[in-house]
Order: sequence, then structure tokens, then C-alpha cells
Amino acid sequence: MDDPVPHPPAALSERTEASDAVLAVRLACGDPEALDPLYRRHKGIVYRFAMLWSGSAAIAADVTQDVFVHLLTRAADYDAARGPLSPWLLGIARNFVRRRTGTRELALGEDPDALAAPLELATPETSLIARAELDALRRAIAALPPHYRDVLVLVELAERSYAEVAAICGLELNTVRSRLFRARALLSRWLAIEAQSTGARSSAA
Amino acid sequence: MDPRHDATDPLDARLGALKAECAALGPPPATDRAIAAAIARARRYGAHPRRVTRGLERWLAWPLALAASIGLIAVALRQMPAEEIVAAPATAAAARFMPVVPVTEIERSGDAYVVPARMPRMALAQFGLPVNPARAGEAIDTELLVRPDGAVLALRFVN
Repeated sequence: MDDPVPHPPAALSERTEASDAVLAVRLACGDPEALDPLYRRHKGIVYRFAMLWSGSAAIAADVTQDVFVHLLTRAADYDAARGPLSPWLLGIARNFVRRRTGTRELALGEDPDALAAPLELATPETSLIARAELDALRRAIAALPPHYRDVLVLVELAERSYAEVAAICGLELNTVRSRLFRARALLSRWLAIEAQSTGARSSAA
Repeated sequence: MDPRHDATDPLDARLGALKAECAALGPPPATDRAIAAAIARARRYGAHPRRVTRGLERWLAWPLALAASIGLIAVALRQMPAEEIVAAPATAAAARFMPVVPVTEIERSGDAYVVPARMPRMALAQFGLPVNPARAGEAIDTELLVRPDGAVLALRFVN
């Protein structure tokens, strides 16, 4: 499968990354004011990632604050030569959101296909209107095993390339692809179960 | 609809809708205020807030810390081989960019680029880093933070 994310023109991309690099150097040199433009530039993507990952606006707000306070005190850890700032921030957000939600990795050998659909997915209300469908999808994403959730949220919703996700999660490119495939398969299965149960309820009524 | 999502696939349709719904979301004003407060705190106390010490304790703190540091260094020097003494401090210091112009000038700079370069190893000495005399003639890999007009803003030694 081709890399699904259209990359911006090289010149534009380099200019953006260079500005982030300058601000990060200023932060590392002890100029805290440099955090303000970085926060305004990247707060949205960090917040959305944490919210879609955790399914909680409160956790997302806390994680966003944690990430930028971390950047304030540890800007010297960012290496502009290794890539843009936003994947680095998402990597930190991933660690913080996992810590705050207390999630665990699926044990090796544990079959993710055997996971039951989240119970609250199939309620009479969820399939009646599009709004409720999105809520059901949100809950289903939050119920995915963490390592599937990582790649699904980053690729499908945060618009990161496979290469960036591989760097953020410390994975091989093929592992990103296979985890995304399985995450989508799991979501599709849960949504199909939901549709079936909704249809059964409708015909019974 | 996002072109990455296939509208005919129910999952893609829902993912596209969810992404569109979340596109304008951002942290609440309370988070903005918390970050502004963290910046103000760092401006006042530095990025790592310092404990304020008073009276005699404040006057004794630096001499005691200096004496302890000298003692630790003396013990370390007695236990480490000569080559390690030369190489170890350079690794930690080399990991971060060091400004070569005043920070105010870096602040004024808009865009900059990271450019790899090779320099004589003796350049380490200009930044207060130790140089092994036996290898002083060799080149060392560096990365320069360069403004579009070519001015070097900061420098980092690689390996």
C-alpha cells in the first residue's frame, strides 16, 4: 500500500521545520517565551491525538499540558536533524496518555480477534443518528488494544505518514501496516456486530 | 470528505466524519492558562524552579557544593583511565546545540536550517570541551544551525 499521507511541498515543509528548530534551540538556551508559538502551533494536534486515543477530553487536556511542560524543560532532547517537531511531540503525548490511562500492551500470543466488542457500542440509541454513530466509533477506538489504537489514531485521524508512525512508536514500517490492517478489521467487525444487533432490535420492534 | 477515506466503505466513512468533527478541537482555555503560567514561572525562576534559600544556608550552599564537586572529581580522576577522562565529558556536551551568537540574535532570526559540516577537532576547545591531543588533527562531524543568509546561529558536535 502506498503511503496515504500527501506530503507538503519540500520548501514549505523545510521552512516550517526550521522555524520549530529555531524555537526549540531558543527554549533549550533558556528562553521560555519560545514555548508560546510552539504551543499555539502544535497544541491542536497533540490535544486531538490524546482525545481520540483516550476518548476523554479531560485526559486530553491534562496530556496536552504535560507535553508542553515537558517541552519547556526538556527542549534540548529534541533533535531537529532527526525530523520535525510534531511527531516528536506526538511520541511524548503517546507516553503520557498511556501513563494517564494506565493501559497495558497486549501480551504476546493474546489473540486480539478474540476481544469482545465494547458493551456500550450496541445500544438502541447509538445507531439512530449519525452523531451517535460517531460516539460509538469513538468508544470503539478507545476500546482497541493500545498498540492498535496508536497506529489507527496516528494514521487515520492524525494524518501521520507510515514512516512517522514507525518513528513515533518505534516500529518497523511493515508492523505499522499490519497493525493498522488488524485495527481496521477489528473496528469493522465491531461495527458490523453493532449493525446486526440494531437490525435485530428493529425487526423485533 | 477526506480523500484518504473511501466513502463507500462504512468504516472509512465514519473515520472521515470523526476526523472532520474533531478538526477544530483544541485544548480548553484552562490549559492555555496553565501553559502561560508555566512560561511566566520559567521566566522568573528558569525552566527548573529553584528552591529559595535564605541567610546562612544561602551563603554556605555554593562553597559546600564546590567542595563536594572537587571531592567527587578527585575520586573519579583517581579511578578512571586517562583516555576516559578526556572522552566522557565531550559526549554529554556534544549532544545539544550551543549558540555561537547572542541568544537575542537567534530570537530575531525567523527560519533556519540544520546543515552538517566537518570541523577540526581543535574547535572543541573553543567551546570549553576537552580535546585529546593525540587526535587533535582529526576532523569531527558537526551540525550547524544556519540562517538563510548563511550566518551560523548555533553548533552541535555529533559523536
